[in-house]
Amino acid sequence: MIYIISGILCGCITIVAMIANSHLAKIIGVFKSTLMNFVVGLISTILLMILVKKSVDLSFSSYGNIPLWAFLGGLVGVVVVAGSNIVIPKIPTIYTTLMIFIGQLFTGILIDYLRVGFISKGKIIGGLLILLGIIYNSNVDKKELII
Amino acid sequence: MYKASAVFIGILIAIMVSFNGVLSSFTDRYVSILIIHIVGLISVIIVLILKKEKFKIPKKIPFYLFSGGFLGIFVVFLNNLCFNSIGASLTLSLSIFGQLVLACFIDHYGFFGLNIYKFKKKKIIGFLMVVSGLVTMIIY
Repeated sequence: MIYIISGILCGCITIVAMIANSHLAKIIGVFKSTLMNFVVGLISTILLMILVKKSVDLSFSSYGNIPLWAFLGGLVGVVVVAGSNIVIPKIPTIYTTLMIFIGQLFTGILIDYLRVGFISKGKIIGGLLILLGIIYNSNVDKKELII
Repeated sequence: MYKASAVFIGILIAIMVSFNGVLSSFTDRYVSILIIHIVGLISVIIVLILKKEKFKIPKKIPFYLFSGGFLGIFVVFLNNLCFNSIGASLTLSLSIFGQLVLACFIDHYGFFGLNIYKFKKKKIIGFLMVVSGLVTMIIY
């Protein structure tokens, strides 16, 4: 249950962060706002670590067995920002969430399959229901926009 | 054509969440967030250099606009936590649900200086479908 609430909370925080970032991007540009995003995030993380008195183990041996690609999340994040910057202004907003979610959902299911070795029917049926819900609500918004 | 490219962004987000999640399973919650931010910072600095942008930041920017980076660490933390316990697809679906609900709420009241778009009762039907989808994913 704690994970379900955490997941929903994560989405809520994401929206607020996205709004703050988009306001900042309007003033200083998308990439500089991304830069500030990482700078503020990094400083906050360091302060947080000092606060909880977390010691950092910098010996190579503890990182040696981590696959290299696992380090690239931050890089992919920057590609996401760059890609969104190009794509999102060019498509109607009501499609953006839907299209991004389709990509996330099917990649998510594929990744779960690669990690666990099977795809549960619930994930697929549940995913399709979520898609239907998003499409339905997009259409409600669409009608409003046309009128 | 561009509609399809938004799907690609979704794919990248799923990959990003998985990379970060795997990293945090090897290290710990703090060190992984630290590494993710250092790698991201280096990447965006390279982009800025390639685009030949100046690093000058105007001074008169309201302080709260920088809160995105602070909030971002909680997003990464929660994503990593969920990814390693409930998997990629459910983590991403729950996050989308949180985004949809809060976005409606923000639109309805016009928070953060955004335009007001009143909530339409018809959308409850869509949300019920989304919730039933989430429940199906969780139970099976």
